[in-house]
Amino acid sequence: MKILRFAAAGFAAALTLTACSSGSAGGSTDATDGGSEGAEIRVWLAGTDTPQDARDYLKETFEEQNPGSTLVVQEQSWTGLVDKLTTSLSGSDSPDVVEVGNTQSPTFTSAGFFAPLDDIAEDLGGDDLLPGFVESGTWDGTLYAAPYYAGARVVFYSEQMLGDAPVPTTLDEYVATAKSVRTDTHSGVWFPGQDWYNMLPFVWENGGFIAEQNGDEWEAGFSSEGGIAGLQQVQDLFQNASNAPKDGDETNLQVPFCEGATTFLSAPSWIKWSILAEADAEVPGCPETYGADLRAFPLPGKDGGAAQVFAGGSNVAVAAKSANPDLAKDALAIMLSDEYQTILAENGLIPAKVSLADALPDDEVTAAAAAAAANAQLTPATPKWGDVEAQKVMQDALVRLAQGEDVAAVAEELDSTIESILNG
Amino acid sequence: MTSTTLRAAPPSAAPAPRASRAITPARLLPWLLLAPSLAALGVVTGWPLVRLLWLSFQEYERAQLMGVPAEWVGLQNYTQTLTDSRFWTVTARSFVLMVVCVVLTITLGTLIALLLMKLGRAMRLVLSVGLLLAWAMPPLAAMLVWGWMFDTQYGVVNHTLTALTGESWMGHPWLIEPLQFFAVATLVIVWGAIPFVAFTLYAGFTQIPHEVIEAAQIDGASAPKRFFRIQVPYVRAIYTVLIVLSMIWDLKVFTQIFVLQGIGGVRSETSTLGVYIYEMGMAQGHYGTASAIAVVFTVIMLAISAYYVRATIKEEEL
Repeated sequence: MKILRFAAAGFAAALTLTACSSGSAGGSTDATDGGSEGAEIRVWLAGTDTPQDARDYLKETFEEQNPGSTLVVQEQSWTGLVDKLTTSLSGSDSPDVVEVGNTQSPTFTSAGFFAPLDDIAEDLGGDDLLPGFVESGTWDGTLYAAPYYAGARVVFYSEQMLGDAPVPTTLDEYVATAKSVRTDTHSGVWFPGQDWYNMLPFVWENGGFIAEQNGDEWEAGFSSEGGIAGLQQVQDLFQNASNAPKDGDETNLQVPFCEGATTFLSAPSWIKWSILAEADAEVPGCPETYGADLRAFPLPGKDGGAAQVFAGGSNVAVAAKSANPDLAKDALAIMLSDEYQTILAENGLIPAKVSLADALPDDEVTAAAAAAAANAQLTPATPKWGDVEAQKVMQDALVRLAQGEDVAAVAEELDSTIESILNG
Repeated sequence: MTSTTLRAAPPSAAPAPRASRAITPARLLPWLLLAPSLAALGVVTGWPLVRLLWLSFQEYERAQLMGVPAEWVGLQNYTQTLTDSRFWTVTARSFVLMVVCVVLTITLGTLIALLLMKLGRAMRLVLSVGLLLAWAMPPLAAMLVWGWMFDTQYGVVNHTLTALTGESWMGHPWLIEPLQFFAVATLVIVWGAIPFVAFTLYAGFTQIPHEVIEAAQIDGASAPKRFFRIQVPYVRAIYTVLIVLSMIWDLKVFTQIFVLQGIGGVRSETSTLGVYIYEMGMAQGHYGTASAIAVVFTVIMLAISAYYVRATIKEEEL
């Protein structure tokens, strides 16, 4: 008996040890290399949004300007980006240049994760930089994160799918059209339950707001009159226009579109490339079927025109703990150069410099995105907003709305949660 | 880190002898043999625990990660945690999940161990390999696959149920209702935990002398009687270890819940203690408060382990 017990306990102890030792093994690059001779600059880009041409241009230009040094682009996933950056940027093996989502950047700028850019702000573009993104990259009057690119959500549709129905010109028409074409197997608009970006325009257009600063206190506005009206419209879409999973998120939106499962798809403009991806690509699209006559329009506002939509996009910054801050700033300057930003623009991303808007391709999707971006809104400018996103409180509230819970009750609760985080 | 290694070593110098005799090499030997594992434990578990305790008395946010000095706040993190109703809801939820998972794991593990005893060589091999594969699968990879199986739109579970029942299950969201969410989570946790329990019990059962069982059989004891009166008492110590270990593992379950929440469901209604600590610490950057919760959690775990250690020592004395 003793032997049995001993063996079992030993086995268990061994397991506990292996479980503990599987932690991170750290990076391998030598961060102690202080000199600029032969240094390696690591640039972290988020997701696949930056086109390959731009990455190549960055690497070549940097290595040409800084002989002996190398630049590596490392792609990070958008999922869990804040966690990853928090640990890497505060550690001893920090990357040098990082891209962050524009709504995430106050989380880092407010806590000293980024190096100040005031000395090179003029060279980066000065007043030519996208103002909303300069704001999200600024903390206490100092610029820490430069704008990188912007994007906006547009409504995609396929002509063969919409048929003779007219393209809606107001938000109410959009809701009505989406509801009228919906069947058990076909959605009028694809609206997964966690897609809070697509909820915001309805709140804004009906006169609601996310949160406003009232003296020292933040006050959330989903339970305001306009907020409730907007959320009611959202619930109407969830229940009567969409067959998307009530707790699904907004990843791989091209899949339902390419299946022909929906008439409208409200998505970031760069989803176009996913829809048009070759059928034998790693993530295939449908250029020959529903992508063949792909069209787009900006989400219409309550009274016509373009609706106020969420301004998505990225900021780019130099890590405070970068071993070679000067070289890192050089790399950042290349990423904001006219040449680099033109490559982004040619691929349909709205460039960080207002003056480069002419480089955007002359097609309907880009035009729709530009119209939407002109009326785009930002999330509340407080570092605590990142916590609201990280805790996914809006997603939770939306999933409950999608299931048919009472709008006023959900909105009240959502507001009190947001207020407790922003004022906490 | 090096200082911890040094700090963990001193026990070898002070073996605390019962009698006041000089330290002989024979007394030193056990400590020397223990030293490497003590050092490893000190670095891997000891130091993080000390840091955790330290942090739990500070206001430690993201800015402190970048070198801003942290402020000592005494017991504030603890009072905040213990007066937060969310903490108690999450704790209660974790315990209920733990109880359900442990009962299922031990019951099913026992049944599979008994099955292993009865099977012929070929089938036993097949079953063992199957169990080993489930055991060897990293939880994250396993969770993603389980997530696909329960996918709302394309999941094989909905597809199979539609084919079997004739009703349309397509589009049934498995994770949206907390009860169904935990049914799926329990399934995956138990699936992953059974192999260890089954193998350990199987090893135990095979050590029971044949004559004892045979004698009982001749005396007319039925199979259930033989199981409860002979087999279980013989391996009672193993059961104690397994139950306590399962309790600890199932209480601190993280990956399964966290990944499932990423696939669907409502986070605020499905978080367990491990995920709650993550939300507080990593997601929101309140490292001090998160540490306080973790310390409370550790105390709970220690209480459970203490029972196990006491039970083991008692057995030893018999």
